Amino acid sequence: MFGNVSRSRLLPMSLPFRYFGAAVAFHAIAWGLLLSAWKDLPGFEAGLGPVFAALHAVTLGVLAMAAVGATLQLLPVATRQPVRALWAVKLVWWLLAPGALVFVTGAARYEPQVMGAGAMAVVLALSLYAVLLMKNLLGARGMKVVVAHGWAAFACLVALAGTGLALVGRYEHGWALDHALVRNAHLILASYGFMGLLSLGLSTFLLPMLAVAPPPPSLATRTTLVAALVAITLGVLGLALPAALLGLAAAALHIVFMERSLRARLRQPLGQSFLLIRVSWACLVASLVLAALMALDLAPPRAALLFGLLLVPGWLLTFLLGVLQRIVPFLASVHASSSTRGTPVISALTPARVLAAHRWLHLIALGSLLGAVLAAQRWLALLGAAAGLAGAVAFAAFFAFVLMKVHHGIQPPHQPAPA
Amino acid sequence: MEFNRHISRRLHEEHDATLALWGRVEASLAAGKHDALLLKSAAAALAHELDHHFRFEERELFPRLAAAGEGDICELLQEEHEVIREAGKQFIALVREDSAKDRIRILGLELAERLVAHVQKEEMSLLPALDDLVDEAADDELSAAYAS
Repeated sequence: MFGNVSRSRLLPMSLPFRYFGAAVAFHAIAWGLLLSAWKDLPGFEAGLGPVFAALHAVTLGVLAMAAVGATLQLLPVATRQPVRALWAVKLVWWLLAPGALVFVTGAARYEPQVMGAGAMAVVLALSLYAVLLMKNLLGARGMKVVVAHGWAAFACLVALAGTGLALVGRYEHGWALDHALVRNAHLILASYGFMGLLSLGLSTFLLPMLAVAPPPPSLATRTTLVAALVAITLGVLGLALPAALLGLAAAALHIVFMERSLRARLRQPLGQSFLLIRVSWACLVASLVLAALMALDLAPPRAALLFGLLLVPGWLLTFLLGVLQRIVPFLASVHASSSTRGTPVISALTPARVLAAHRWLHLIALGSLLGAVLAAQRWLALLGAAAGLAGAVAFAAFFAFVLMKVHHGIQPPHQPAPA
Repeated sequence: MEFNRHISRRLHEEHDATLALWGRVEASLAAGKHDALLLKSAAAALAHELDHHFRFEERELFPRLAAAGEGDICELLQEEHEVIREAGKQFIALVREDSAKDRIRILGLELAERLVAHVQKEEMSLLPALDDLVDEAADDELSAAYAS
């Protein structure tokens, strides 16, 4: 299906798209798992089972998978350094995709030993990815702000692997450790750390590019990064209140400067995918406000679960889906270009109705799940999981549509179709 | 994005002007309007861009960048130039005649989308690579060539 054409810093299409494809599949798996256990959601606290498996299908299968694929494609553009070891990019996928699947299966079936095997493959994959990331950042020449975010995310990834292995060791071998502290550190490093810092850094050049807008000022993005890093460190050390407040300040700075940049855009239509991006920012802020309330013992019932929902599907997943709605057609149009059939316009690779259906189903799912936990209403959990699964199917249809269009070739509108 | 070389900054300024103009064209056509003055202005700017900006990139920049290992990006941009040039010539001719308003609308919207995507790629790949590649002497030489 894919041509093996390398365009300098552009990877061959099959490489980023295999990560995106796996993320699309795990997205459906996650909602499917949640739908199978919808009754358990409002009362979920911790422990293995389908809800825990659904969470990790999102974190490992969707977020980490897409983050690896997207950064291996986008970072070389920012750093002006190509990824040379294409075999390593393929190997990371072959470790990460099956590893995440085994981990999720083990978690869903309450089998820690199976989870352990999956976790080992995931850690190997992320370690190899960390080496690729480090090599790329070491030779970086452009976009210093993005590079600084890359290094910060790299540091969080290393610490994340350590805490993840420690948690698996506790489940599998009964290692004695402060479980709550390590679990919280793992959560913070994975979400606000690795994923969050990557999303903040890439946002500073990707969102202005998509919106045709000037990037935010470098001083503002550097200040945001420093505040976010200090907040993450405080959070990992267990100092929840100062971490949440400083994190809130960093998030506010990021959003204010990104919105200023978007307002100065040169092309009026921003695109509906920015609705998802803005909802994701609202969830980021809400997660930090809730974290501060939890630290002050002022949080509503089931606050930990609510926090997890705001953080993972609310902020990170919604942001990723919003970005993928734009970069999948953009990258596909680049790869579909050829001298014989020209370059397809991005709108020809953007099925507007399917994407609108996905957006609304995702937002209904998110709202319903938050409502289910806030009001302890199981039927809302059922509605949310069903809407989420339907949204995931719509997103998969969008992805398949793009692949089919690229595979069959698209004629530019002003040119006659081939006989 | 900030660029260090005169030639990168000059091309960046032209990109901004193109985006601003075609952003207005797109908004006008999408709203179902046929603003003859705006369309003529866009056609004139496009004719200059195809004749001057594109040709300069193809003659002066793509060969240098290809020699420096950026040939695949240049090949992609060259392919886009060809498609934009073909659609652009049709658009310019139709606007001059001020006929076939439906065709002008379709071509105008297509060109707006293509020009935006093309500028995005040049801003992300061509100009940063150019900034890395040229030294002060080459920068002066290219700037003079572009101004002539």
